[in-house]
Amino acid sequence: MIEVKEEELLRCPVCEAVNIDKGKKNVCRRCGSAIYKHKHFQTEKSWAFLITAIIAYIPANLYPMLITKQFGSTSGSTILGGVILLWEHGSYPIAAIIFFASIVIPILKFIILLYLLISVKYPLGKDRRVNKHKLYYLTEIVGPWSMIDVFVVAILAALIHLANIEIVAGTAATAFALSVFFTLLAAHTFDTRLIKEHR
Amino acid sequence: MKLENEEALDHLVICHKCHTLHQEIPLEDGSKACCRNCKTVLYRYDSRLAEHGLALSITALVFFVLANLFPLVKIEILGHEQFITIPKTFFSLFENGFYIVGIICAFMIFVFPLMIVLLYIVIFSLLKMKKGKKASKELLILLSHLSPWSMMEIFLVSILVALVKLIGYAQIHMGVAFWALMVFVLLDLYLTRTIHISEIWMLRKRLFLKEERQ
Repeated sequence: MIEVKEEELLRCPVCEAVNIDKGKKNVCRRCGSAIYKHKHFQTEKSWAFLITAIIAYIPANLYPMLITKQFGSTSGSTILGGVILLWEHGSYPIAAIIFFASIVIPILKFIILLYLLISVKYPLGKDRRVNKHKLYYLTEIVGPWSMIDVFVVAILAALIHLANIEIVAGTAATAFALSVFFTLLAAHTFDTRLIKEHR
Repeated sequence: MKLENEEALDHLVICHKCHTLHQEIPLEDGSKACCRNCKTVLYRYDSRLAEHGLALSITALVFFVLANLFPLVKIEILGHEQFITIPKTFFSLFENGFYIVGIICAFMIFVFPLMIVLLYIVIFSLLKMKKGKKASKELLILLSHLSPWSMMEIFLVSILVALVKLIGYAQIHMGVAFWALMVFVLLDLYLTRTIHISEIWMLRKRLFLKEERQ
């Protein structure tokens, strides 16, 4: 017979099996993956990825995302510029989708991850009222959707390839793709087990 | 809480959305168990999971091949006809020198979805034949590491967004691959979201436990 408290049970992030918390080194009994628990471990990686993502997000907004070459004249549009242009043309739903996918979701994700990372080490005032597991779940679900803009640019660049009119991806596409990639990594390396320690 | 041994932990489930602890109960065939706190589906019971999964994943593979071979969209612009396929989307990024975006896109819309479908086929056929106790474990671990990186459904929405941007400039014709991609996305979502990975682990345990006892 083993006696355990309910708080001592943890969920393997890989195979979802329930495990008993055994202190510093937890290994899942079903799939053998490590379940991190140690306080000084694992937030560093997540921080590093998150900071990289935030840095990459700056050029992503400053440089043009889409370059249109039309009859010899070249014009580029940034992410925000593209949204405003679509709004002025009257395609409101698409403008809203792009606005949410490439501006609201990344920034929301940065804020949630920053909040989770800070609150893991230094509990903030009204922490107990927030279900941090739900917040984390939210970032996991909506996070990948910010790739929409990169895919749209890739599709347009592949499709519009004429002698007179040509669409080329801009510098911001690389920066934005990297930013999304690193936020996804930051979210995946973040260990949900750490949330529980301060609840 | 008292437990007989570590094996008894298999009768517990933690909700992936809100981390509430639950005790597992036996279910009737085809029914599902929900979290009492947030109503998320925790697990379902399907006595023919391996057969159903295998059928769905092979269908998904067929539609994946179709979606990659034929043109997704054809447009007519100023008398010129242009079309794209899935591979052409990321190859044109390579041609323009966008190697990083090209690689990221290639993995997210081609390599990972293909690998995931193939992994499902291999895992379900191993479980169907009741072989490969160790291999199925390794493959299941690999699968759960890969599945967050497949972005086919996002690509599908991106196609629609790109086309709406082109309305007014060009005539648009949907290709065969677009419909194939749509079916593939639906099957992929069913395989990765509705069938929980823990259900496959439970099935694996049931199969190989029986074998050990005999």
